[in-house]
Amino acid sequence: MKDQNFEIIAVAEDTLGEAAAGEWYDAANPTYTALIDTTHRVSSLYNFVNVPSAAWIDEEGRVVRLNEGTYSQVISLGQASFGTDEYRPAVVDWVTNGADSPYVWSQEQVVGKIRRRTSDEALAEPNFKLGVYFYERDEALARTYWERAQALSPDSWNFHRQDWNLTEGLGGPQYRAKRGALGDKDYYAPLELGAAEPR
Amino acid sequence: MQRRTQMFVIAALSLGTVASMAASRASAEPVTVLYDDQVIEVERTLTDPNDLWVVPADLPRVNGFELKPEGACLEELCVPVLQDRDSDMFVTRAGQAWFNVTALARRLEQAYTADHDHRVWSFGEIPVTRTRFLRSAMAPDFALPNRDGEFVRLSDFRGKKVLLVTWASW
Repeated sequence: MKDQNFEIIAVAEDTLGEAAAGEWYDAANPTYTALIDTTHRVSSLYNFVNVPSAAWIDEEGRVVRLNEGTYSQVISLGQASFGTDEYRPAVVDWVTNGADSPYVWSQEQVVGKIRRRTSDEALAEPNFKLGVYFYERDEALARTYWERAQALSPDSWNFHRQDWNLTEGLGGPQYRAKRGALGDKDYYAPLELGAAEPR
Repeated sequence: MQRRTQMFVIAALSLGTVASMAASRASAEPVTVLYDDQVIEVERTLTDPNDLWVVPADLPRVNGFELKPEGACLEELCVPVLQDRDSDMFVTRAGQAWFNVTALARRLEQAYTADHDHRVWSFGEIPVTRTRFLRSAMAPDFALPNRDGEFVRLSDFRGKKVLLVTWASW
């Protein structure tokens, strides 16, 4: 799809940077643009609270679709095939048909989908960044700021999972407890790829 | 005498934190500023437990603003700052001008916090700079390093469709 003026930009939300994301990118040998984001800057800018999340951006720099965790089951970096089997054809349709694709949202729909932050959630960001800054200098202090960020922004899975991963390993007991507390409720926004979806 | 006291109180109120500034002095103690995803070391600050004061020359690399005759400006955003007298945002000490970065943040409702023990100041986003995204769905621009450490900017891909995907090893 490269020759159709289409680019995939993958952004690794990893405080440890290349040390954490590198082996995944190595295994993928990517043809897409692979970036490293130690402070979770893109999540901050796009008001994302979890990974993977995605924004579709058109030729003029306009967001035409926003999805959080659309491809929670499948993330195959190797073939640049982000997403579930349902998601990929939607991307292809957009690349082929542009603004005429039924998967493209109106400006009002996109604006309506952007998560709004409370003032507490806004204050969580600089606290999270302090944690990132202190992580390699003073891990206990880093935790103090991460816990503060989590308390201010309890819905941000990014803040929780980055912290737990560094302090107790991937998918540790705290992650499972919070995930389990949700029950059947998915922590991502629903897929919304149905044919009846309004433009 | 009583009238003088009242006048002093009014003057102190109208000048905001200037009264507390009496104790503050120029300092060689460096501070660290976390802004966007940058870590900025600032050598010269005014000693003030509540606020971050920097010399105007350092302002652009601290928060991207530039102190102009009309005020502190970031692209088309300008916050008026009087520079012929002291205020909560601008003071002159021993001939040196100082700018209050945290007062500007408060004016713009920008979240910030500090670790005073380690003299690290950390800033969040400026809400007013976000309206193009929040109201018009224009993609916020950013520059991040690729694996070779070269910075790549989202707007470099203008003219192409972009699928922007976040992921993580955790």
